[in-house]
Amino acid sequence: MNTFITTAGIALIGLMLLVLIRAIKGPTVIDRLVAINVIGTKSIVMLLFAGILFGQLEMFVDIALGYGLLNYIVSIAASRYYQHRKSLEPEHSPGGSPVS
Amino acid sequence: MDLLGYILISTGLVFFLGTTIGLLRFPDFYTRMHAAGKGDTLSTVVILIGCICLNATQEDGLGLLLALKILLIINFILIGSPTATHAMMDAGNKAGAVPWRKDSE
Amino acid sequence: MPELPIWQFDVLLLILVVLFAVVALSIRNLMGAAVVFGAYSFMMCLIWAGMGAVDVAFTEAAVGAGVSTVFVVSTLYNTGATMQRRTGGLTFKLFIGVVVTVAGAFLLSALPDFPKWGAPDSPVNATVAPYYILNTFEDAHVPNIVTSVLADYRGFDTLLETTVVFIACIAIYSIMRVDKAKLETDEPAIVAAPRYDPSDSLIVRQASRFMVPFMQLFALYVIAHGHYSPGGGFQGGVILGASLILLAISFDLKFLLRQWSEKTLMLLVAVGVFLYAAVGLTCMFMGGDYLDYGFLDSILPGEKDMARSHGILLVEIGVGITVMFSMIAIHINLASNGRFDRGL
Repeated sequence: MNTFITTAGIALIGLMLLVLIRAIKGPTVIDRLVAINVIGTKSIVMLLFAGILFGQLEMFVDIALGYGLLNYIVSIAASRYYQHRKSLEPEHSPGGSPVS
Repeated sequence: MDLLGYILISTGLVFFLGTTIGLLRFPDFYTRMHAAGKGDTLSTVVILIGCICLNATQEDGLGLLLALKILLIINFILIGSPTATHAMMDAGNKAGAVPWRKDSE
Repeated sequence: MPELPIWQFDVLLLILVVLFAVVALSIRNLMGAAVVFGAYSFMMCLIWAGMGAVDVAFTEAAVGAGVSTVFVVSTLYNTGATMQRRTGGLTFKLFIGVVVTVAGAFLLSALPDFPKWGAPDSPVNATVAPYYILNTFEDAHVPNIVTSVLADYRGFDTLLETTVVFIACIAIYSIMRVDKAKLETDEPAIVAAPRYDPSDSLIVRQASRFMVPFMQLFALYVIAHGHYSPGGGFQGGVILGASLILLAISFDLKFLLRQWSEKTLMLLVAVGVFLYAAVGLTCMFMGGDYLDYGFLDSILPGEKDMARSHGILLVEIGVGITVMFSMIAIHINLASNGRFDRGL
């Protein structure tokens, strides 16, 4: 069972790398949001795989449950930002934004 | 029970492969959201059910407790992930992303 | 337990972490950079989980990948900053590159001198750790060694950490709170019935309404079960705060202010630290040292040697209260720019 879960975990990380390409390339910023949401959901699965490999799944289930709830909050917060702001393009504020 | 778990995890990985290909190759933001929202939720749920089947045979009631907790995770992903997809699609719509049309290419 | 570390996962996750960090720094849109930085935080959590450090992984997932990203989004919403500015020319970048490489090489040159991972003769594992591992269960009856070290053997450090969170909350409050707006924001405007924008989403509101009670129940479980499973006061407090931040985000900010008024929030931030310090003082009144829970057994229920376990639980509740209300107060201040009327 350990080799199967290890292979499944490596395949999952490889596919997460492919999703990261969309986060790099995405022409709009919400594409990046979507990619990060997918990566977050799959990381919950990765935590459970790590738990099975350790043989102590009951330790890792709590962390997975906690992160499943928090992933949702980040997606909602980021989309509320765009619902209020109503523009996807970054505005060039006058005087140049000093934040870097 | 172990064999069922292996089959379910492999099926979930195949669904996730489909999600990734869709996320990379679709032409527009809205179509990519279809691939991400549906495929991601489904593959996660299938993999988690596979994890339940792998661990259900532990002794003295621990397997039942683990199964209940993983069912809770499945519950929150089933409710939270499609809602997040809806919220992001709504945000994209309000912020003015234009749908792709085949004749505009 | 199988052999540690799981080197396949570790190598791949380290590559992913470096990739995430490079991507987060090179995206020029600040919102995208903030969200990718949250995902970087979660990759770090996976690395720690792969090493077996589950308490640290839980805290990193809750704080770094959850609440911290929401704070950055709120700040971006208020300041209106959207894009990074291009800095300097080529010579400047070369100079920075040389400085960073020299400093990094200096740090990496110490690498061969580290003891092997998990070696029993390294300074940590030879002197302090065996004492904790052997004596925790007889002293405090708490199976989770991390919780007993955090709240019992090293209780002073945790008290000061809680005070630091409290100070951070007060600092943000005193910097950002606008007094003129406090006079203008009248009570009837807050307690009036909500009138939601019809284009606002009903689906998000109902889903959040469903999830918030479960989040709070789970967070209470994490606080109370911190003796036996990964968790404890800090992680539970952060998830409790995040549940109320979810209410504030998906409904209106005034919805949260109607349930928890400003005075209640700031009072309760202080109550947690006060509870922690009061437990220590009570131990002194009972005849022991400060924060020596063994002397509390005459006023706590249960047997004599469970007193330390109950003392740890009281202290964790104090930490949880302070952290929960600090998160909420910081979010309200950042999201509404100190005006406490409407925000993200």
